[in-house]
Amino acid sequence: MNEEKGIAEQASPLVLEKLAAHHSEALLAQRETRGRVGVVVRKEQAYAVLEYLKTDPELAYTYLVDVTAVDNSQMESELMQFDYARFMVVYQLYSYQGQCRVQVKVPVHENDLSVPSVTGLWRGANWLERETYDMFGINFEGHPELRRILMPDDFEGYPLRKDYPLRGRGERESFNFEKQNV
Amino acid sequence: MQGGLERATGEKMVLNFGPQHPATHGTLRIVLELDGESILKATPHLGYLHTGFEKLGEHLDYNQFIVVTDRMNYLSPLSNNFGYVLAVEQLLGIEVPKRCQYIRILMAELSRLADHLLWLGTAALDLGAFSVFLYSFREREKLYSIFEKTTGARLTTSYTRVGGVFRDLYDGFETDARDFISNFPKALKETHTLLTKNRIWMDRTKGVGPISADEAINYGLTGPCLRAAGVAHDLRKAEPYSAYDELTFDVPVGSNGDAYDRYLVRMEEMMQSCRLVTQALDNLPDGPVNVEDNKITMPHKSDAYGHIEGLIHHFKIVMDGHGVQPPKGDHYCATESPNGELGFYIVSDGSGTGYRIRIRPPSFLNFQALPHMLEGGMVSDTVAVLGSLNVIAGELDR
Amino acid sequence: MGLAKTHIQSGQGAAQTDGNIITTTIDKVVNWGRKNSLWPMPFGTACCAIEMMATLASKFDLSRFGSEAIRFSPRQSDLLIVSGRISIKMMPVLKRIYDQMPDPKWVISMGACASCGGVFDTYTLIQGVDQFIPVDVYIPGCPPRPEDLIDAVMQVQQKIASGAAPKGIEVAYE
Repeated sequence: MNEEKGIAEQASPLVLEKLAAHHSEALLAQRETRGRVGVVVRKEQAYAVLEYLKTDPELAYTYLVDVTAVDNSQMESELMQFDYARFMVVYQLYSYQGQCRVQVKVPVHENDLSVPSVTGLWRGANWLERETYDMFGINFEGHPELRRILMPDDFEGYPLRKDYPLRGRGERESFNFEKQNV
Repeated sequence: MQGGLERATGEKMVLNFGPQHPATHGTLRIVLELDGESILKATPHLGYLHTGFEKLGEHLDYNQFIVVTDRMNYLSPLSNNFGYVLAVEQLLGIEVPKRCQYIRILMAELSRLADHLLWLGTAALDLGAFSVFLYSFREREKLYSIFEKTTGARLTTSYTRVGGVFRDLYDGFETDARDFISNFPKALKETHTLLTKNRIWMDRTKGVGPISADEAINYGLTGPCLRAAGVAHDLRKAEPYSAYDELTFDVPVGSNGDAYDRYLVRMEEMMQSCRLVTQALDNLPDGPVNVEDNKITMPHKSDAYGHIEGLIHHFKIVMDGHGVQPPKGDHYCATESPNGELGFYIVSDGSGTGYRIRIRPPSFLNFQALPHMLEGGMVSDTVAVLGSLNVIAGELDR
Repeated sequence: MGLAKTHIQSGQGAAQTDGNIITTTIDKVVNWGRKNSLWPMPFGTACCAIEMMATLASKFDLSRFGSEAIRFSPRQSDLLIVSGRISIKMMPVLKRIYDQMPDPKWVISMGACASCGGVFDTYTLIQGVDQFIPVDVYIPGCPPRPEDLIDAVMQVQQKIASGAAPKGIEVAYE
């Protein structure tokens, strides 16, 4: 496709090759669609894989583009795929050296919502992880100050979860506007 | 700066800056811990404009969501429209006609001009240069009139559609755009004379809020803020989307990563945008502006009224739960918006509504680096640094 | 001008002072002054704030209507222009700013989001600021054009000239 001409074709498989060689036990799945390389990684080895992607001199994914999550509870096919992991934490990485992207997904089960924090690797991860915590309730272990970022501190619930209604649970009306510390 | 710290009494003072402060451009809030005039610690608080765009994306059709993207970075809605539909189109695996690609580039570059102009006006206003504000708004009004004639709205344009644009350019667009572009360098020169060598402007911005290239990458800075730090990275060059690979332009790069460099980079980017607009106008191809696929684009009105197939196609596209239906899967697509990398991560479950739409906002990560730039500096620099980052609250909080 | 209803003294008194006396009520003089020197406090949060800036800038130039003295301190201003989306986190700030403004004060709710939530019927957005602060003039549009804002300011001016109490005072005495 014309729109993806610039993505270095030869660099993409390199990630998969190197990951298969060094972290094969962590890989749950991998794919290459629409010019984007993606891997699904076991939660226990997620930090090691991300660290490897950043520090390996040939890969050098030094730029953390995005951290977010997806709630798969209403998408049966995705939910089944990784043993009913309700959430999928998604990291987008970019390498200035190879000018290529990789997407790392980490399945997270509802009964254990913790993922290792990558704030030690990228400082940019701080707010991104806070936002994911705020919106999904994913617990990033080792995060220096994991508290709400977009919603008020005393807000209850996680708005981007699928079971949270679009119009909220009455916070718009019942929110205490007097007591707020302005 | 170091001297300031030594002189200070050691007593800490907490200053609440915002959320309603003239220099916070809306709704930013920074809690500053001061020792005398020096900043010990800066803690940004955000979320004052959180609107729930991403949640809304799970309840709107792919085409309806374009309206929401307008209201994200409201300085340059056309760039947001462009970035979003590009992501959906890549997910669908379609490519729009050449003419459409050029029109989108034209509008994106004009809105980059509009964005940088407003940034220039307000950043200068914050540091006391009121005339620059009036000068840049004079130019912006000319752009508004072009946008209004093309899209029907001054600000919230909603111009693009999945698979094309809402309508072709109007007759006389070329004259209007060329008029504007030919006069623009003169207008920009006025600003250069007012600011670039101005002693006060240089004193307030040079060496203020610096960030090194490595740190900028580590913080995930993008756009003019990254380039000012010396990293020549522009997605229009690195991953040329649309027809950017057919156009030539330069990527301006700074060296110190301070507020002055961010100013110079943006000023030069405006000149490069003018180059791009001129080239796009010179090479503007003829032909349709929408993909010819009735499952994606609206049929012509006369078809919808005159033929049963047209009517059915029209009905299918506007009905809830039908419309554009990308295949199952997810895709991340980034474009170079005036502020930096604007990414859309779309997860589709095969229906007409997005399953999850994540917006990767450039302002969010640029704003995160603010404490790093401020700490150790003086309290009066806060306004200069904040102004130089161009943080747009709508995009920051979504 | 706003003194239309007053009249020039005629008769004996006029002869003595060469027709230079104008009688009126204190209220009318004060209102005339207020009307032509509104000091707006712009509470701009989102897209509407950009149009508000356009209104203040060179082409539309709100100062032609005597209200260009933008004051970012609520204590100095008498017209609050709420322009943009107000979230539940922002509402206490807006409320406090409104409370800090000295009476009499007027409020313009600019744009669909401030007036009713607009296209954003979501969990975090206040569906109309008039639930919490009294609003004198609403402006429709998303965002409204600068002409709409100028029109709203002129409506506030007419309201002041007519001697009607601001909505805030009506609410306080209800």
